[in-house]
Amino acid sequence: MNPAPPVVVSGVSKTFQRARDRSPVEALKDVSLNLRANTFVTLLGPSGCGKTTLLRMINGLIKPDSGQVLVFGEPPKPGPRIGFVFQSFRLIPWLTVRNNVGFGLSLQGVDQGEKNDRVEYYLKLVGLSRFADVYPHELSGGMKQRAALARALVTEPEILLMDEPFASLDAQVRELMQMEMMRLWSERKSIVLFVTHSVDEAVIMADQIVLMGPRPGRIVETIDVTLPRPRWDAEIRMRRDFVELRGYLWNRIREMVMRDPSSDFYTGESDSI
Amino acid sequence: MATGLKASMITVYRLLAFVLFLLLWWVISLVVGENLIPTPLSTLSAAQYLIGDGRIAQPLLSSLGVYCSGYALAVVVGIPIGMLMGGIRDLGRTLDIYVNALMATPRVAFIPLIILFLGLGPEAKIAVVFLGAVIPILIGTYSGILNSDAELIEMARSMGATRSQIYWRIMLPGALSFVVMGLRIGATIGLINTVVAELYTAASGLGGLLALYGNTFQMARYFVVVLALALIGGLVSQGLRMLENWASRWRVTTAGN
Repeated sequence: MNPAPPVVVSGVSKTFQRARDRSPVEALKDVSLNLRANTFVTLLGPSGCGKTTLLRMINGLIKPDSGQVLVFGEPPKPGPRIGFVFQSFRLIPWLTVRNNVGFGLSLQGVDQGEKNDRVEYYLKLVGLSRFADVYPHELSGGMKQRAALARALVTEPEILLMDEPFASLDAQVRELMQMEMMRLWSERKSIVLFVTHSVDEAVIMADQIVLMGPRPGRIVETIDVTLPRPRWDAEIRMRRDFVELRGYLWNRIREMVMRDPSSDFYTGESDSI
Repeated sequence: MATGLKASMITVYRLLAFVLFLLLWWVISLVVGENLIPTPLSTLSAAQYLIGDGRIAQPLLSSLGVYCSGYALAVVVGIPIGMLMGGIRDLGRTLDIYVNALMATPRVAFIPLIILFLGLGPEAKIAVVFLGAVIPILIGTYSGILNSDAELIEMARSMGATRSQIYWRIMLPGALSFVVMGLRIGATIGLINTVVAELYTAASGLGGLLALYGNTFQMARYFVVVLALALIGGLVSQGLRMLENWASRWRVTTAGN
């Protein structure tokens, strides 16, 4: 018998109240999802489909209204086993890069010697050793996100949650960071759940793509990606299966956006008005 | 290189401005009459006399004593209360309207009450300084904690930080620049209140000298006291600016002092 998957999301719903008029928003409705060990999963979908909510739920930052999330067989609790990388980096501005990377370890009270060794190792892994003693404001966007990545990796989490981590980087840096991320992941595998708006990014990185739809936030389709790894050659983007998958996903997303009455591109052809 | 050059230019400009100021002072004293506004030179000779005679040293020390004790007390009381109000949200919400009301009340209004309880001696003066300085320091600390970065707090939470770890490692360090701002405002009000206290309780210190020389039209000596107070104010604010630079050393340093 197979052991239960490390992450099991079953029948989860979550409703928020809008701050403006207190009207309810269904962020997630009846979402079920299993994550297998050592898989790279991308969550793809238009704005408002609850991708971030799902991520925060798996981290244990918020609880579902109904349904259940189990991580390693228990309701999740934020901590060193689950790493989180944010779009806005969220480095602590008054700490040096070294101390930012060591932040999680110092929360756990890991002793100084071990902490230094591990921080040193992960700084080197993301190529920031030379910048260990500078403050975050002196770093470029890509370097900031490397530091945040090292901070998430330093506790050696079994699950890495990434919330549009490269969305605020410019296009070139973004692609380089994707390669970097794949390199890091191939060196030390873990479950990665990677939220993105970018179809390209979703396809190139994933073992599995979870396509989500908006209002209410729900899972529309789950697709296994069989493109061969490593994928850091430019040729990968010219492969026929890459192009086809990309095209397919694009059409699905466009359909969803056009049918969503609260999107800017709503065409009004549905009967929901 | 360029910034260094610019900084030295600013020093030159400042000296020029100082010379201009002296010139203006001198012209005004000639126009208005030396008996009302003494010339810079007669002020200087009065300063030499007061310093040489030792007549200003004792009041200066007495004022500094009152100022420093009252201010130190305000720091020791204001920062911890602000920390408590920021750390325990309900306590903060309960007390902040009263603190704000006290901030808006001219605190010299309490002088008669203070005299009633503490008399006219140094204790009363220290209390007046304390009362002036403590509220801005408290409010600076409190609002610094309230303004902590929600994104950083969530980041720490996502890593499993406890509430107290979030408080000590994220909220409090993030509040530092607000605390220093409170310290600066407190220092200014504290100095004002030092003089007010010395004028309104038993006349002593520099405030006492102000009253004495002002009332007896010894304007050159009066000006020496005013300049001494300005000097203290300038030194204190420079010191706190250095503290501020230290507190924000991780920020981009574009502006010089």
